[in-house]
Amino acid sequence: MKWLRRNVWRLLTLVASVILALGFVPENHPELSALLTRFSPILSLFGAAAARAWFGGTLLLGIPLLILPLFKGRLFCWRICPMGFLAELAGKLNPKGKGLIHHVPMLNKALALIVAATAAAGYPLLIWLDPLCIFNGFFAAWRTPFTVAALATGIGFVAILVMSVIAPNIWCHRICPLGGLQELLMLLARRLTEGRKAEKPKSGDLPPAAAPRPAAVSRRALLTAIPAAAAGVVAGKVFGPNGRKALRPPGADLEKINALCARCGNCMRVCPYQLIQPDLGDSGIDGLFTPVMWLRSRNPDQEQYCFQDCVKCTQVCPTGALRPLTVKQKHDLAIGIAEIDRKKCVAWENKEYCAVCDEYCPYKAIKLEKRGDVMCPVVDLSKCRGCGACESACPADPIAITVKPIS
Amino acid sequence: MNTTAQKAAAPAARIKRRTFLKAGTAAAVGSFYAAPSSASAESTAPVVIVVHGTDPKKMVEAGIAKMGGWAKLFKPGAKVAIKPNLAWKSTPEQGGNTHPDILRAFILAAEARKVKKITIPENTCHPEKETFPTSGALDAIKGTSAKLYRPKASEYKEVEVPKGKICQKAKVSRDLLEADCLINMPVAKHHGGATLSLSMKNWMGAIDNNTRRAWHRQGLHQCIADFSTFLKPTLVVIDATRIMLDHGPQGPGKLAHPHEIILSTDPVAADTYAASLFKKTPADVPHIRIADEMGVGCSDLAKIKVERVEA
Repeated sequence: MKWLRRNVWRLLTLVASVILALGFVPENHPELSALLTRFSPILSLFGAAAARAWFGGTLLLGIPLLILPLFKGRLFCWRICPMGFLAELAGKLNPKGKGLIHHVPMLNKALALIVAATAAAGYPLLIWLDPLCIFNGFFAAWRTPFTVAALATGIGFVAILVMSVIAPNIWCHRICPLGGLQELLMLLARRLTEGRKAEKPKSGDLPPAAAPRPAAVSRRALLTAIPAAAAGVVAGKVFGPNGRKALRPPGADLEKINALCARCGNCMRVCPYQLIQPDLGDSGIDGLFTPVMWLRSRNPDQEQYCFQDCVKCTQVCPTGALRPLTVKQKHDLAIGIAEIDRKKCVAWENKEYCAVCDEYCPYKAIKLEKRGDVMCPVVDLSKCRGCGACESACPADPIAITVKPIS
Repeated sequence: MNTTAQKAAAPAARIKRRTFLKAGTAAAVGSFYAAPSSASAESTAPVVIVVHGTDPKKMVEAGIAKMGGWAKLFKPGAKVAIKPNLAWKSTPEQGGNTHPDILRAFILAAEARKVKKITIPENTCHPEKETFPTSGALDAIKGTSAKLYRPKASEYKEVEVPKGKICQKAKVSRDLLEADCLINMPVAKHHGGATLSLSMKNWMGAIDNNTRRAWHRQGLHQCIADFSTFLKPTLVVIDATRIMLDHGPQGPGKLAHPHEIILSTDPVAADTYAASLFKKTPADVPHIRIADEMGVGCSDLAKIKVERVEA
């Protein structure tokens, strides 16, 4: 009972977080399912800073977790965070492992600084280590149709639990960058108030021996942040072009998606036709598990493609890897370009009346050219938006029209 | 012309492999042909009734009265199946789908005549959760016992098409096969592949996706004609209140407003008349011509008796 009373907030947050991460929100408000991830300043604010874009007031949801630690230290970590709660419970399974944590260096503040500095440099590294994102990714992975690839965004969650069983508390105390960020803010606040309170140390504070000296912290912080920012700039130059190698969901920041994407799984879960899947290597090792479009229908009974009036995936990205689009903006935006292989096309090659691509194209981007009696399709590049309607409906075997990424 | 001859010759070899027609299927085919009207007596000229007006409900009533009345169409206890065209997310004004008021008029009349059940299976192109509400069809069935649905794989039945030259097997919505009264209720519109989408083309929403895809690969017009030798509607009702002249079948396209509803028991005759609204002849729409050649109905507008009704 005592345990229950102590942990009532954590239990409530856990339940609420699971509901959000599973996407149980009203169907016409998909953006609500991104709420959990948006509370993390690493995702929402650092993401926006790196994207160099302001994409709506939901960014402000990241602010509370920047202010809270100034006054209450890591209250969020110990009393609210759903990932921390589960990691702590997992650690209880192995009480003998408690000592192991002392063999692991304090990485959390350094990781927080790396994310912050690289985000400031415009190409965030390690943003996917955010705990709310990892938590979200696990539950977002349970969607239909169930595929092995779809589980990719759940890997981090399992890794944290396994690591917590082997070495209890290691995630929250040593690695978590969101925890590290809050610790840095806590130390900053303490340093600012230090002058006033120096004479009378509070009883609740850490013993003086354990608390790092603020001056040492700031020097170390600069030594971490400056090289990290430089690394971010270089990474952006080297890896940035990889973002364009795969077919991306609408609104994607093609230059930065591999870095900005936190692999939270929101876009994949919210897609009504499960077109968005984790990339398994097309966009480079740095693009692993970022969202790519599988336009070819996996359901033989229903043509599935990126529907004209659907912008759900763009509304749930916490980091701005996918920018919010209005339906009108989506109509004007090409996510790819359809290409016809005339050797496979039943109209061009076999002289059959077909024109299914034209039939399905919502943008009237298929021009039909008369060849003898038969109308043969040609893609109008100025109108094609790469939605994949043609590809999902093409009756040729193998399929004659496919959508290619915009290079 | 030449291509048709080749197509006709090639599948002849396949006929040898064709298995024998199941008795059940044959019986089902026979039962469809309950001519609802004395107007269309056998071996005389095919009759097409063209109702002109502005209120679809009144137009349907006037047309059916001319055909011989509802009582001959809907017998108490009968299984009624209606096949409208609800393929696309298109509003009634855009003309991509059968007008919901026409659909509702038939459903209400069937209910009033105590039929056993009314089913409306439609293999939509856009997802049904988009097309059924947008087309107005969900409103059309509101408060009635009619069942509007997109068939699942288990709700299709594979049938043989004995007279088919290319299409010899097809998976067809079970409810359409088992109906005592089968109404083919398309909207008349332009179509990129089939030239025009009329009543025979409308059966492409009665078959499953694999069959549909195969038709495009193997010869669309021949397959449409093949299938129309098999599935015979009790009545064809073509919605030509507004017709899409281009960018079909999905649209939105340029519209014309003939303000007509076309009724007939001869699908070829009905399609031939409807094609004339687009200034097209059976020579322009190969499946109409082929269906005539295969004996499905009459495509000679000069021989068709067009009876006009004002409503």
